[in-house]
Parts: sequence; structure tokens; C-alpha cells
Amino acid sequence: MNIRCARPEDLMNMQHCNLLCLPENYQMKYYFYHGLSWPQLSYVAEDENGKIVGYVLAKMEEDQEDLKHGHITSLAVKRSHRRLGLAQKLMDQASEAMVECFDAKYVSLHVRKSNRAALNLYKNALKFETVEIEPKYYADGEDAYSMRRDLSEFSKKKDKKEEAPKNEE
Amino acid sequence: MPSSNPLPPKENALFKRILKSYEHKQYKNGLKFAKQILTNPKFQEHGETLAMKGLTLNCLGRKDEAYEYVRRGLRNDLRSHVCWHVYGLLQRSDKKYDEAIKCYRNALKWEKDNIQILRDLSLLQIQMRDLEGYRDTRYQLLMLRPTQRASWIGYAMSFHLLEDYKNALNILDTFLDQQQKLSTTVDYEQSELLLYQNLIVQESGDLLQALNHLEVYSPQIVDKLTLKENLAELNLKLEVYNEATQIYEELVQRNPENTLYYKKLIESKRLTKEEDILAFYLKYSEKFPRAMPPKRLPLNYATGVQFKQLVDKYMRKAFSKGVPPLFVDLRSLYKDAEKVRIIEELVLSYVEALKKSNKYSETESTNGPKEPASAILWVYFFLAQHYDYLKQTDKALTYIETAIDHTPTLIELFVAKGRIFKHAGDPAEAYRCLDEAQAMDTADRYINSKCAKYMLRANLIKEAEDICSKFTREGVSAMENLNEMQCMWFQTECALAYQRLEKYGEALKKCHEIDRHFSEIIEDQFDFHTYCMRKMTLRSYVGLLRLEDVLRGHPFYFKAAKCAIEVYLHLFDAPLKDESAEQELNTENLAPSELKKLRNKQRKAKKKAEQESAQAREAQVKRDQHHKSRQQGDVEADAPQLDELIPDKLARVDDPLDQAIKFLQPLQTLARDRIETHLMAFEVYYRKRKVLLMLQSIKRAHKVDPKHPKLHSCLIRFLQVVKENQSTFDPAVSEVITIETKSLLSTKDAKTLNKEFLDNHKNSLKAALEGAIVMYQLEEKSQKEALSLVTDIDNNKFNDVDIEICTDILKSLRNGEIGSCTPSQLDSFVQRCHARYPYAAAFKPPQEAQEPTTDPTQTNHVSDQDCCGN
Repeated sequence: MNIRCARPEDLMNMQHCNLLCLPENYQMKYYFYHGLSWPQLSYVAEDENGKIVGYVLAKMEEDQEDLKHGHITSLAVKRSHRRLGLAQKLMDQASEAMVECFDAKYVSLHVRKSNRAALNLYKNALKFETVEIEPKYYADGEDAYSMRRDLSEFSKKKDKKEEAPKNEE
Repeated sequence: MPSSNPLPPKENALFKRILKSYEHKQYKNGLKFAKQILTNPKFQEHGETLAMKGLTLNCLGRKDEAYEYVRRGLRNDLRSHVCWHVYGLLQRSDKKYDEAIKCYRNALKWEKDNIQILRDLSLLQIQMRDLEGYRDTRYQLLMLRPTQRASWIGYAMSFHLLEDYKNALNILDTFLDQQQKLSTTVDYEQSELLLYQNLIVQESGDLLQALNHLEVYSPQIVDKLTLKENLAELNLKLEVYNEATQIYEELVQRNPENTLYYKKLIESKRLTKEEDILAFYLKYSEKFPRAMPPKRLPLNYATGVQFKQLVDKYMRKAFSKGVPPLFVDLRSLYKDAEKVRIIEELVLSYVEALKKSNKYSETESTNGPKEPASAILWVYFFLAQHYDYLKQTDKALTYIETAIDHTPTLIELFVAKGRIFKHAGDPAEAYRCLDEAQAMDTADRYINSKCAKYMLRANLIKEAEDICSKFTREGVSAMENLNEMQCMWFQTECALAYQRLEKYGEALKKCHEIDRHFSEIIEDQFDFHTYCMRKMTLRSYVGLLRLEDVLRGHPFYFKAAKCAIEVYLHLFDAPLKDESAEQELNTENLAPSELKKLRNKQRKAKKKAEQESAQAREAQVKRDQHHKSRQQGDVEADAPQLDELIPDKLARVDDPLDQAIKFLQPLQTLARDRIETHLMAFEVYYRKRKVLLMLQSIKRAHKVDPKHPKLHSCLIRFLQVVKENQSTFDPAVSEVITIETKSLLSTKDAKTLNKEFLDNHKNSLKAALEGAIVMYQLEEKSQKEALSLVTDIDNNKFNDVDIEICTDILKSLRNGEIGSCTPSQLDSFVQRCHARYPYAAAFKPPQEAQEPTTDPTQTNHVSDQDCCGN
């Protein structure tokens, strides 16, 4: 398994993975929109044949009023590749890039109220906190938890690197 | 040049309001203002107003009227750039890009410095990849707007795309020089621009300059990952190993899950000996205990005892933790028979030890904690997949059953069981397993998708659609929603199922839907031409352009195109009969009462068909409405309407071969390395009797794989065609053929060639089948020899016997390709296959075959690697 930043040629295969795994689907143009607006933020996990087995599709929320923050549009790992910790690793890479390139202060996402496995991942492994419940967020009428993860740990990492870039030489 | 018919101030003000309304998408207002001008008898034929009215109507979806008004306007004012521009925009909205370009050029004749028209022209040029035209237009834009950033970037990019790196860089340098005088702040867009500049330097081949450039500008680049990846790569290529090593170490630190970084690090450290590489990975697995690559990658390098030690440790950990993908993870090691043997030996020993003492080894029974009870479950699960991979179906089934007995609630076990049946040739039983799995967790779409796929493999299309509908939007059929979401795996599997069921029109409909997705995805780039220039994400933008250029090289397209071509070939060979004519013929011999029954039946069928098409129309309307509402207003109302795909029409086209060529052409440029492309091309041109194109296909196939069995039969058929038609060829053609065949073949005698071929491929049953068919077709009296060649599958001579080839042979026997066979000849072959592959539906005796909907000879055997759904 290999985790790396997504390239334009990955986007179609990410769409395929999304259609296999998740109920929320998007047309290709929306993937292009992500890949061409914030090329640093989306990551893929691929197997040895280069087949995408998981991905995170992410963006920046660019309204001026709020703090700068990233948003996870979609995160999926094929059921056949669970329990390898891929989701967490994908999320960490995307989060780091949000801070590094766009100075994001936090990252947000939505999760179905009924999706206990995902909820568990976000809460326990990734330290997301529930901000509010958005009633009937999903097309089928289900509520969503709106969640956030503070990214200051990544900012500190970034600052440290910037303060002493020559130390390792 | 101004319009030849200028308006007085009052009307002119109204006209400006039409333009404004158009820009602000207030189309109703626009029409109102247009009406105010046009109702004045003096201006009722005012060209520009009529044209604008047409353009506005187009945005409201009133296409016919739109064309009428725009054309009338243009006729009334042929020297108005507005009218030409509007006509161009109208054509553009209908995707008639070549026409639109012509219109813009006419518009520019009358107003050569119009920025808006030049911009619109440049967009079409880049979309159509008229790179030289694009460069010239971008030059004009730069001259007109030298202070705009986009002017410089666009002009530079036009040279980059033309691979004129020097000019591209000169322009960027000039621009950046001015820029830096203005701003020194670090920002994302600046950073992206610098990285784009660096990309051009790299592509120009000057790696040293690229490295210097990056080093100079590194403080201004915020995308540290790309910066470091490029620095590392450049240092490595320039053999500055210490630098490269250090940067790759930083990269591993940042993302220890990236396998490339480790491989590059090994290169930078110039490690070549197995022991050094293993020691390297050991060090990193200690440094990054949670990372996968430093533990997994050494298994690729290690051999013998070393491998055994490593894989032992690796598997134990996974079994204790319960990692379901362990087998998938290790599968790539199975290319090496020795590694397979070691893995099997180890895992079998775990079973024994775990049963006795809950340990992986009996010698360890006295120390350490016991393994969790689930460990043995994962071991069984692994062994089932292991034996399935080795095609030992019985053992695989035994282990999966043992696992299910142990934990009957684990979904993965039912998925694995289904896969075993699929590989063993029983798609019906396979889908039943997946159906069971699916029922255990209806909230998981992955399992749902797998179940649908297996249903389609078993030709159960309706069932598959029903299953899918659990996750598609309510209010529309699952088929439609999946089409809208561009769900190509589903549509491809559907097409293949329809093909097996001989519902050719339906199969073609699915293939065309997929083709349209590709067209749409190519369209998608349009908006990004301006967008990326603004966002400055130029590297990704160039990546997008390059991707779109080869988009139909994607395996999804190949699969759909192959299906379509096969169906069209079939429809050429066996055209569908005209239904009504067929029915007329049959009525002659019918008794009146039977005739009446038949007429009733026909009436009912007709009524049903009408209802269905009415439903389809209704659905189309709904779809359009949905589309409109979803797009918030009328953004898409001006999009062209595509013809509805009607299966019956598709299956009865007059020119199936030309239709096939449409699917074939992208493959010929984008899938040249796949021999099937050229074999299919041969089949098409063989039927078109195009000898030179047949020859071309053969040559290309020969280049990919000169030993491919199917190529042999193409060659023979080619020779026959040449022999029979030689006298009609142009002398030049004749000469080409003579020269080319000489370089391909030792002799022109088909029989000798066939004998040589069979002698050279004695171990291949696939070759034997092709050879046998040729043998019989060259000489019918050799049928007996030909038959024994392919039916004697148990003689250990062949090393490529599998379910697929046996199914192919059975098909050839049944359809008389090797002459007609007696029922007992067929029976004995089927029995032989059945003994070999007891689970395969294709060889089951009739009383055992359970699924009447599945034609046993039509089951497919796509391996896991090939199918898109995996």
C-alpha cells in the first residue's frame, strides 16, 4: 500500500472508488474542481498494481468571515482494505497540506448520524469534535454531525520547521 | 467597425440593457428590452438586437427560435462583429466548436481588437488543441492587455504546450521580473507560478538550472511537499547523492507510507545488495513502527530463509491483530513459487499449533501469552484465499466453510466464498454468497456494489438494479441515477451481461452511455481554461490537459469499446431480422385461431412497447427538470440535447462496421499496446475487405505479441483474402502486400503455416484451438485430427488449460467451427471438462444446471485483475 498526493489522472479512479463505497456521489467535474483548485489537498492510497483502494477528497472553505479552514468533501477506504489505518493516514497528510499551503486553522467535515464506524474514527482516532447537528443534511433526509478538528498541532510543526530549517544539515 | 445600422441614443440605451441583462442572466428582462426596440417599425429588422434576442432565447432553452433570430440578425447586418460573435456563442453552446471558431474569426475581421471575442476564441482554440492558433491569439491579448497577469501567463503557456520551452521561459522571466518589483510577499499563487516555471525548466531538460531555480526560490514556495519532492528528484538525477538522501529522509519522515520515498532513498544511498536493503528497511521499521512499507517492502527483496523469517513475523502480527486484507497485501508475492510454498507451509503450521495451544508454534507453547481466539479464524480465511488463488477449489471451500462455522457473522467470509465460486466458474452460486453478505450489512455500499456486480456476472440485470437502488437517489430509477453519476463499472458490467444474453441493443445502449461520459469529461475541461489561469494552479492545469488528451486510454473505455465492437461485429455477421417482416412470413402457415392469438400477442407487445417509450419520455422530462433545478436556474439550459439512445435502433443500424470503427479509433491511438485492439481492428477490416488496413492491424498486433494464437488465424484469413482477390488489386497494393507478408511469414502456403504454428506451440491449448479451426477450414477432411487436437485436454501436454479456454472450445464445437459434432462427441468433451472443473456451470450436466437464465456456454471468466469493479 502506498499513500501519496493525488494527481489529475487519479481523479477518475477516485470517482470509481467513491461510487463503490459511498452513497454520496459526484460527477467528474466536481473532482476536477477539487484537483485543480487545491491540488495539494487530496490524497490516495493505492495497492501494488496502482489501483486506488482509498482516497480523501478535500478543499478549502474560502469565505472571508470565518477562520481559514479546510473541509473534507469525501473520504473512503474500500472495505477490502480496512483495518490498515489508511483513513487516518490519508487524513493526516491532507490536514498537514491544508496548514502548510493554505494556513488552515481547522478542518471540518460532515458525517451521517447513523455511520457509527466513521463517527468512531473521527472522534477517537482523529480527535474531531462535534460542533452541531445539521438536520436533514443528506439527500435522503438523514441528519449530519458537523465536526471539526483543530489543526494547531500541524501549525506548530510547520513553525518549528520554518524557524530552524538548517538544523538538520 | 461599428454596426452598419446604428441605433439612436434611446434605442441604443435599451440595447445596452439587453447586453447587461444577458451578462446577469436576467433573460426575461433582456427579452423585454429587445421587444421595446423591435416593436418600433423603424428597427424591427435591427440585426444586433435580433441576434441578442436569439442568444437570450438560447439561454432559456428555446433553441430553434434562437437559431432563427440569430441567423436573421446576422443576415441583416453581416458586417457587425456583435452578430458574428453571437452566432459563434450560439454554436459554441451546441459544442460545434469548429463552426464557432469560424464565426469568431469573422467577428474579428470587423473588430480585430475586441478583447472578449479574442478571449472566447482562445478558449475554443485551447479546447480544440489548436495550439498555434492559441499562441497567436494569446499574443494579441497580451499586446492589448499587457498589464494583466493572465495575458502573460496565457502567452507563456501557449509556448510551453508547443514545447517551445525557451520562449515560454523568457516570457515568464520578463513577467516575474516586473512582478517582483511590485510584491515580495509570500503567497500561494506566486508559489504555484514558481513551481510551474520550474516544471517548464525541467521539461526543457536543463536539470541543473531547474535545481538552481528551486533552491533560489525555495523560501517563496509554500507547497513544501512538491518543493522537496522536486529537489530530491533533481539531486538524485544529477547524482548529488548526499543532498538527495537528506531530502528523501525528510520526505519519509513526513509521510512514512509512501513507498516511492523508500525506493528513492535506497537509490540515493546506492544500496544494491540484498542484505543492505533489508538492513535499511529494518532500521526504518524501527524508526517508524506504525508505517507499513518498511515492513512490507522487504518481503519483495528477501529470499529463502530470510524471507521465511520475515514473512513469518509479518503474518503472525496480522493474524493476531486481525487484518482482513492480509492476503490481498501478500498476493503480489505469489508470482514466486518458492514464496508461495513457504507461506503455505507456515500458515498450515499455524493451524495445527493454534488448534492445540493457541500459539503459532507448538515449541513456543510454554512461554508468552496466548493468541486471541480470532487468530485461527483469520488463518482459515487466509488459507481459503490462498487455495482459491492456486485454483484448488475444494481446499479453498473447506477452509472458508471452517471459517464460517467458527464465526458465521463475518461478512468478509461470504465475500471470499463468493469469489471462490466465481473463480470456479459458477457465477450463480457466487452471487448467492454475495447476496447473503449484502443482507448482513445493508448499510454498506461496498458490499452492495459487489453483490450487484456478481448479479450482473450471473446475468441478473433486474436484480442488480434493484440492489443498487438501495443507494441511489429516490424518485429516479437506479439505472438513470447511476448513469447520471457516471457509474461506469456498473454500466460496463450491464453491457457485458446484455451481450451474453444476446440483447444487443441494450448492450450497445450501455456502451454508448459510457462513451458519452468520456465525451462529457472532455467537455468538463472547458471551464478550467479560465479558472486555472486565475487560480494559478498551472501545473495541475497542464496535467489536466494532458490527461484529457489521452482520456479514452482509460481501461473503462477499453472495456466498453471492446464490448461495443464485438456486438457490432456480431450484428454485421448476423443482422437482426426486421420484426414486422418476420412476423408476416410466419403468418402464412397459421390456422385462423392461431393467427388471432398471434395478432393479440403482437398488439399487446406493441402496447407495452409504447407504454415503455412513453415512460422513457416522461423520465427524460423529469430528468431535464431535475437537471435544471439542480443547476440552480438556467446555466445548462443552453446545452445541446443528445439523441435518446434507443436499444432497438442501435441494434439495427445500417452500418455496424462504421459504428464499430468509432469505438475502435480511440483504442488504436490510446491502447496501441494491447493486442486485442489490433485483433479487433483486423476483424472489422476483414469484414470491410480493406486489405491494407487488415495488413496494418496484423503488423501492429505482431509488434505487440507475435505469438498470440488469435493473430495466427488472422494471418491465415488475410492470406486467403489476398489469394482470392489478388487479381483485383492495384499493382502498388500488390507490391506492398508481397513485401510485407514476406517480412512477416516464412511461406505463403496456409497449410504449411498452420502446421508450423501447431508444431511451435505444442504446449498451448489456446494455440491448438486456433490451429484446429484453421486446419478444418482449410481442409474439411482433417476434421477428425482437428477435433482430437482440442478435445484431448487431459494429456498433460498443455500448460494453459483453464475454464475459459475449455469454454471457448465447447463453443467452437457447438457452433461448427470445427465441423459438426455428434452429441456423443460433445457429451464426452463436456464430461471431461466437468471432471476437471466440477463447479463450472458451463460443464454441468443439464439436470445439475440450476440457473435457467444463465446460458452455460456464455459464462465469462474475467480474472480479478481484469475487471474494473475490483
